[in-house]
Order: sequence, then C-alpha cells, then structure tokens
Amino acid sequence: MFNKLINDSAAKSPWLYHINSGSCNGCDIELVACLTPRYDAERFGFKLAGTPRHADIVVVSGPITSQSRERLIRTLAQVPEPKCVVSLGSCPKSGNVFKGSYSVEAPLDNYCHVDVSVAGCTPKPEAIMEGLYKAALILKEKREAMHK
Amino acid sequence: MIIIRSLFYILIFPGVLFTAAFGLFLAGVDRKVVARMQHRIGPPLRQPMYDFFKLLGKETIIPHAANKIAFLAAPVIGFVSLALIMLFIPIFNFTAFSGSADLIVILYLITIPGVALIVGGSSSGSPYAGIGISREMVTMMAYELPFVLILLAVARKAGGDTLAFSMETISKWQAANGSMIAQWSMIPAAIAMLLVIPAEVGTQPFDVAEAETEICEGPLIEYSGAPLGLFKLNTAMKMLVMSGLFTSLFFGGIRTGFYILDVIVFMLICVAVTIVCMSTIHAVTARLKIEHLFKFFWTFVSGLALVSLILVWCGL
Repeated sequence: MFNKLINDSAAKSPWLYHINSGSCNGCDIELVACLTPRYDAERFGFKLAGTPRHADIVVVSGPITSQSRERLIRTLAQVPEPKCVVSLGSCPKSGNVFKGSYSVEAPLDNYCHVDVSVAGCTPKPEAIMEGLYKAALILKEKREAMHK
Repeated sequence: MIIIRSLFYILIFPGVLFTAAFGLFLAGVDRKVVARMQHRIGPPLRQPMYDFFKLLGKETIIPHAANKIAFLAAPVIGFVSLALIMLFIPIFNFTAFSGSADLIVILYLITIPGVALIVGGSSSGSPYAGIGISREMVTMMAYELPFVLILLAVARKAGGDTLAFSMETISKWQAANGSMIAQWSMIPAAIAMLLVIPAEVGTQPFDVAEAETEICEGPLIEYSGAPLGLFKLNTAMKMLVMSGLFTSLFFGGIRTGFYILDVIVFMLICVAVTIVCMSTIHAVTARLKIEHLFKFFWTFVSGLALVSLILVWCGL
C-alpha cells in the first residue's frame, strides 16, 4: 500500500532541471513560458529545481557544444534514480542547423538514454507540456520497475 | 494507561502524525493561494504530500566529501524537535504536556530545525551550502531578537507583576480576560510576530538561505531522496508550529468548550494565519538581500515588539 502511494506520487510531482548545452535561448524561453500563468505547468506538480540532486526530469536544450559536453555528462550522472531525460527542440536530437559544425557533437542519444524528444524549432509550449507529461508517466513506470 | 495516553499524544494527535499531515496540508494551501493570486490554477492541495512520498522513493546519494552520520541525522533531529514543540502548544483548553516554563522550552526547540539545517548543510561539503548556512545563521540571529521580545511582552501581560512563562497560564489568562489580540498594547507585538513567522519558516521575501535561483537551494543542495523529503516536511511542519504558536499566544480567548470544535477552530485560524503572513507576502514580494533582512528585523520588527513590551511594562 505504501509502495503504491510512492509509485502514484512519482507521476504527480516531477521536478525539472534544465540544462542549456549551447542553446540559442529560444527553447529556454518556451520552457519558462510553460510555467507562466497562461500554461501553468505547476498544476501537474511540475517545479523547476535548483540543483540536479532534486530533479526527476532533466530537460536538455541546445546542440551540445564541445565545451558543454563534459558538464552535461557530469550533471546527468548527479541525478538520482528514477530519472527521465527530455530533449527539448530539434538541436539535441539532430544538431538542427548546426549539424556538421566542428564544435557541435549533436545527438544526445550518444551520451545518455533519451526518454522523450520534443521536436521543433522552437516547440510550442503545448508540445513541451505534452512531452513533460509523458516523461512524468515514464517516471512512474521506471519507479514500478525498480520496486517490483 | 498513562503510557498509552502519552504515546497517543506523541505519535498521533498533537504529535508526529497530526503535525506532519496538517503541516503538509498548510503547505498545500500556501502553494494554492499563491498560485491563485498569480492568476494560475495551481497544484492540488495534496501536492506537498505527493512531493514527500515521491522523495521517499528516490535514490539517496551521499557525496564523497560528506560526513555521512551528520548528513543523514540532521533532518531527523529537525523532525523530532518540531513534533515535540507541537506537544507544548496548547490547543485552547487542551495541552498534551504542560510545565512551569514551557515557553522557554519552545523558544529553544524552535531553533533546533534551523541548527539541523546548518549541521546538514555544513556536513555536505558543498561551497554553495557554505554560503547557505552562513545566511541561515544571520537569518536566525535576525529573527530571534524580535521573537524573544514578543514572548517577553506576552509573558508579562499574562503574568501581571511577574513573567508567566507557562503556556497554560497564558491560555488561562486569555480564557478569563479575552484574547491577547484584543488588548491594544499587544497589537504591535502581533504584527511583529506575523513578520517573524515567514522568516522562521523561510518563505519568499526571507528565503535568502535557500535561494534556489542564486545559490541552488543553499544547505539542501547535496540532499536527495528521503532526507530531502524530511527537510521539506520540516518546512511544512514549521508552518504549522509557528502559526499554531501565534494562534495560542494571541487568539487563545476564542473557545467553544468542546474539544473537537476547539481543534477545528484552531485549524481554521492556522490556515488564516498561513494565508495572511506567508502566502500574501510571498505573492507580492521579491527576495531580500541578507543585509536588508538583518536591518529590517533589527530595526522595524524589533521596534514594533519593543513598543509592545514598553506599553505592557507601563501597565497598559
């Protein structure tokens, strides 16, 4: 019964940590727009956490520049299990217009498992909300798999 | 029999279970009201409960640089002391444990959660936590002075010629002479107390120690999983303890005579105090700097408390 309560809570209180790996700031603005009164992600329990230790969902935006790659991998390793990784925008998925650049090491899949990809340049807040909500449901599945 | 009753007091009614459950409810009310004031729908009232249970199910990471025992014991110490304070706060006629000087016991116990935060933060070995604990210490120094002045004013008012440091005496005085808030000489002290509560709990304008946007939640930076959940629970319980203390110090005269009704009235006043002094101030202000916080508490708030103390000492 206690375990079930914890499993249910996992989907209802996902805390976000946002990593900008060289993004143009477009996706970052749209992510913050999700938290504003118009879209209000807090009604699903989403909250921006200040440190990766508190996070459940890590949102990565930007085409992963060579400078930020090491920091990205280290930050992802600091997040406690169960965790979800969401790639925000087209950049972390494919490199977008920066593909082929000497300083961009784009697909995020090379460095970690990506649970949800929200494509678009930039994605609409509605799309981001849907992606984050899916990530919250995946979080619950992961927690259930951890404690059978 | 007396052992069973004491265990009931400690574990269920004013103790652990009630304090935790109602504290989390108050935290939910706070978040909902702030959201409504910002024209948002806001999270459900049970949201802090979901947060707590989710954190119980997360992995607990202990950093290499941390002192393991102090790191894990700190939130538990804070939790125990908060559950203990609630046993000394009278719910109108009802007190779980009463003594001759329980006001002083409360004064000491109320600093322990802050000290636990400092111990936990300093044992985590993070430089951000270092900045956070230094700010937490300054915040504690800032609000302790007006807090002591308020308690002195209340104790003098209830004691007549002497100081009444027993919550039971204060409660009985209010039963006989009406609520403390109805005495006009106590109104500055009540306003000062309403400003001390958010600093003690650490909500918006006074949350310099846990500023999540500048120093990554300060002392809590390295915490994850169940210890973090306990710290979040401590914050919620502090809301109840402080608003409960305000209720029994200043609204002790409102009593119905039935225990159940008394408890309901007590809970309603706690919710009202939370909305007035935490949610409203949270929704309309931004975070202060640490030196501004210190100056504000040692001039304005202490001044208000001192006015009350002088008036009471003059026999008004």
